[in-house]
Amino acid sequence: MNLKEKFSAYRNIFSENFSDGDSMRKIFLAALLIGFIVYAGINLTESVTPYVSIAEATTSNKNVQVKGLLDKNFEPRQSNGEFIFNLRDENSNETLQVKYSGTKPDQFDDAYHIVAVGKYDAADATFHAKKLLIKCPSKYEGQVRD
Amino acid sequence: MLTGNFLLAASAVTLIFSTLKKEYPRKNLVLISTALTICASLYLWFLIFSNDFSVEYVAAYSSTTLPPMYKISAFWAGQQGSFLFWLLVHSIVGTILISKKTSAESLKFYFALELILIIFVLEKSPFAANPVTVSEGVGLNPLLQDFWMAIHPPVIFVGYALLAVPLSLSLGTLINSAASRNWLEPARVWTLTAFGFLGAGIFIGGYWAYKVLGWGGYWAWDPVENSSLVPFLLAAVLLHLINLAKKKTAVLPMAHIAAVFTYSLVIYGTFLTRSGILGDFSVHSFAGSEIGLTIALANALILIGGLLIIFFKAKNFPAGKMYENFSEQSFIVLLSCLLIIFMAVIVWLGMSMPLLTKFLDNPAAVDESFYVKSTAPIAAVLVVLLIYTFAKFKVSFGGKITHAGFILMLAAIVISSSGETVTAELSNGVETEIAGHKIIYGGQIIEDRQKFYIYKVDGEEVRALTKLRGNGEDAAREPAILKNFSGDIYIAPHPPQNIIAQELILEKNKFAMDGELGYTFLDAEIIYDAENKPARATAIIEITDGVTTEKIQPLITVTADGGTSSAIEIFDGRRRVRLTGISGDLQKARLEILPTIQEISAVPITTTISTKPFIWLLWLSVTAICAGTFLAVKKF
Repeated sequence: MNLKEKFSAYRNIFSENFSDGDSMRKIFLAALLIGFIVYAGINLTESVTPYVSIAEATTSNKNVQVKGLLDKNFEPRQSNGEFIFNLRDENSNETLQVKYSGTKPDQFDDAYHIVAVGKYDAADATFHAKKLLIKCPSKYEGQVRD
Repeated sequence: MLTGNFLLAASAVTLIFSTLKKEYPRKNLVLISTALTICASLYLWFLIFSNDFSVEYVAAYSSTTLPPMYKISAFWAGQQGSFLFWLLVHSIVGTILISKKTSAESLKFYFALELILIIFVLEKSPFAANPVTVSEGVGLNPLLQDFWMAIHPPVIFVGYALLAVPLSLSLGTLINSAASRNWLEPARVWTLTAFGFLGAGIFIGGYWAYKVLGWGGYWAWDPVENSSLVPFLLAAVLLHLINLAKKKTAVLPMAHIAAVFTYSLVIYGTFLTRSGILGDFSVHSFAGSEIGLTIALANALILIGGLLIIFFKAKNFPAGKMYENFSEQSFIVLLSCLLIIFMAVIVWLGMSMPLLTKFLDNPAAVDESFYVKSTAPIAAVLVVLLIYTFAKFKVSFGGKITHAGFILMLAAIVISSSGETVTAELSNGVETEIAGHKIIYGGQIIEDRQKFYIYKVDGEEVRALTKLRGNGEDAAREPAILKNFSGDIYIAPHPPQNIIAQELILEKNKFAMDGELGYTFLDAEIIYDAENKPARATAIIEITDGVTTEKIQPLITVTADGGTSSAIEIFDGRRRVRLTGISGDLQKARLEILPTIQEISAVPITTTISTKPFIWLLWLSVTAICAGTFLAVKKF
C-alpha cells in the first residue's frame, strides 16, 4: 500500500466512524468547529497586547505591555489609590511615568524588570497600567538576598 | 559530585541493555536501573542534608539553617531537581508496569520516554559542581517555605509521570494490533490516577497562591499554571474517550490520539516554562536555559512519532458507529470532550501567544480576560450537558462526585469572586467599617524572623505574617485571612515603602548623638575564615542615655554579595540599631538607627480588604473532584 492509499484508508475510517454518511452529523461538527474558530479568533484579537518599547508605547493607542527597569531617580509614591513610578527603557534610557490603579505590588523593591500592561494616555503623558508583572530574580530561580 | 550523574548514566545504560536481545525486557535489569535512579535521588538528598555547597544546586536551594522539612522539598525546588523527581517517579512506575506483565512493546515505549527524562536530567544536572566556593547556601525562597508549596511540585510531577503510561500502552498496543482493546482498562486506571494527582497538584498550587501570595487570587492564568491546566483538561478528554472506546470501537482511534496529545502537551508545557522563552511574560521567572532545544526536540519526536504510528495503523482500526443518535450518552460524552478540547485550545493559544508571535515583529501576550470570557460560555454549556447526563444516564459513584464537584467549583468561582475589594489607610486602634465589617489595625509585632500585622475583624484577631530576611527586610508577605461560614475576609497590608532609618557614621573613640542617645565606637574586628577571607565583622559600641550605659557588639556576616546583619534592641526596645559597615582600616563604623516597633506600629498602614463569599465551597469542590477521581479507580 502506498502512502496515498494509506491516507485514503485512514480518511475513510475516520469519516465512516464519525458520520456514517449522515450529513446532519457532518454539518453539525463543521458548524461547531467553524463557530469555535471564529469565536476564539475574535476573542484573541480583542485581547492581544503586543509587547513594545517605551517609544512605541507612547505612540500606540492600544493595550500594550512595556518592559523596563525602575527609574531610581524618581521615588515611587502612592496617591489616591494609585501607585506611581517611572519606568526606564533598558536600551534607550527613555523614561515613562506609570500609574497603576492599586497599591505597590509585593516584591516591587526586588524587581529587576517590571512589565506594565495597559495603555498610554497622551492627555496626562502617563501610562495607565491595569497590571504589573514584577520580575524577581529570586522568586523561583537564583539568588535570594539574605 | 559526579557520582550522581554516573548513577544516572548507569541507570540509562542498564535500561537500554534490559531491552536488547530479548523478546521481553529483562526484569532484573529494569529493577537495577530503577535502583540506580533511586540511589541518585537519595544521593541528592544526602548532599542537601550534608550541606554540600560545592554542589551548585544545594548552594542555590538549601542552607545550613533550613528546617529538615524544607530540605526534603529543596530536592524539587529548582528546575534540575524537579526533573530528577519526575524521573524518579517515572522509573518506579516502570517497575510496577513490568511486574504487571505489560506488553513488551508498551514497555519499550515507556523506557524510551524514561531515557528522554534521563537526558533532561543529565543535561541540566542537579549534581553540577558549584563554580564558586561558598560556606553557606542561599536557602529556599521564603515564599516556598510553606507546607502546601512543599508538596505542590511533587504531586504535579507524579501526575506528569503517570501520563506516560497511557501513551506507552496506546503505542505499544498499536504496534501489535490496532484493534485490541486490552489496553483500555489499565490505561483507564493509570489515567485516572494521573488525573487525580495532576488535579490535586493544581488545586494545592491555587490554595497556596491564595493563602500565601497575597495577590488575593488562587488562579492567575500564568503560563506556568496554564501549562499544567492543558494536560489536565486533555487527561479528562482521554479518560472519557477510553471509557467510551470500551463500548464503542469506533472511538478507539480517538483514544489513541488523545493519549499522544496529552503526554505531548505535558512536554510542551515543560518546554514553555523551562526554556526561558516566556521570560518576559510570566511572573514565574524561570531562568532561561539551554535545555529548551532538547525539550523541543523531545516534544516533536513524541507528538509526530505518536501520530505517525496511529496514521500507519489506521487501516487496522475496527469500523463502527460512534453514536446512533444525538440523545445517546455517547454523543453527549463526545460533545463534552470536544468542548473540553476547545477550552484546552483556548488556554494553549493564550499561553503560547508569546511564542507564536515571537517570530513576528511584535511579540504579544493576551490579557487575562481572554481566558475568562472565552472559557466561561463553554463551561456553562458543559454544565448543561452534565445535568442532562445526571438526569438521563447512569453515572458511577466516583463519577458523580467528581462531576458534581466540577459544577460546584464553577459556582464557587462565580460566588467567591462576587465579593468587595476596598483599599484603605488604617490608623492604629481606629475602627473602620469596610465591606460590612468592623476592622481595626492593631500594630505590628516582631518575633524571631517573623513580623505580624495585627488586625481585628468584627472583634476577632487575625495576623498577617511577613517573613523577614536576616537583615530585617521583608522577604515574603502573607495576607491575614479570617475564615467564616459566609466566606473569608482577606486582608493584605501594604507597608510603607521605606522605613525611615537614621544613619550614624561613628569614628573610633568619638562620641556621636542620634538626638536622644549617645554612641561611642570603641573597637572593631574582622574575623577571617580558614581560607583567610573575611567571614564576619564586629564592632563594640557603647551607648548611653545620660543615666545608664549599655555596651553592644553587633555583627555583620559576610555573604556572597556583601553582608548581612540583624537589628539589636537597646534600652528595652527604645531603639533598634543595626551595624551596616566597618571601614577597612577599622576606624569608622556605620550604624543604622531604626524606629522601634511601637513607632512603626503607630504609622497608618494601607491595607486591601476583600471579602470572598463562601470561598470554602471552592476548596470543598476541588477536594470532591480529586476524591471522586480516586474513588473511580475502583469501580462501584
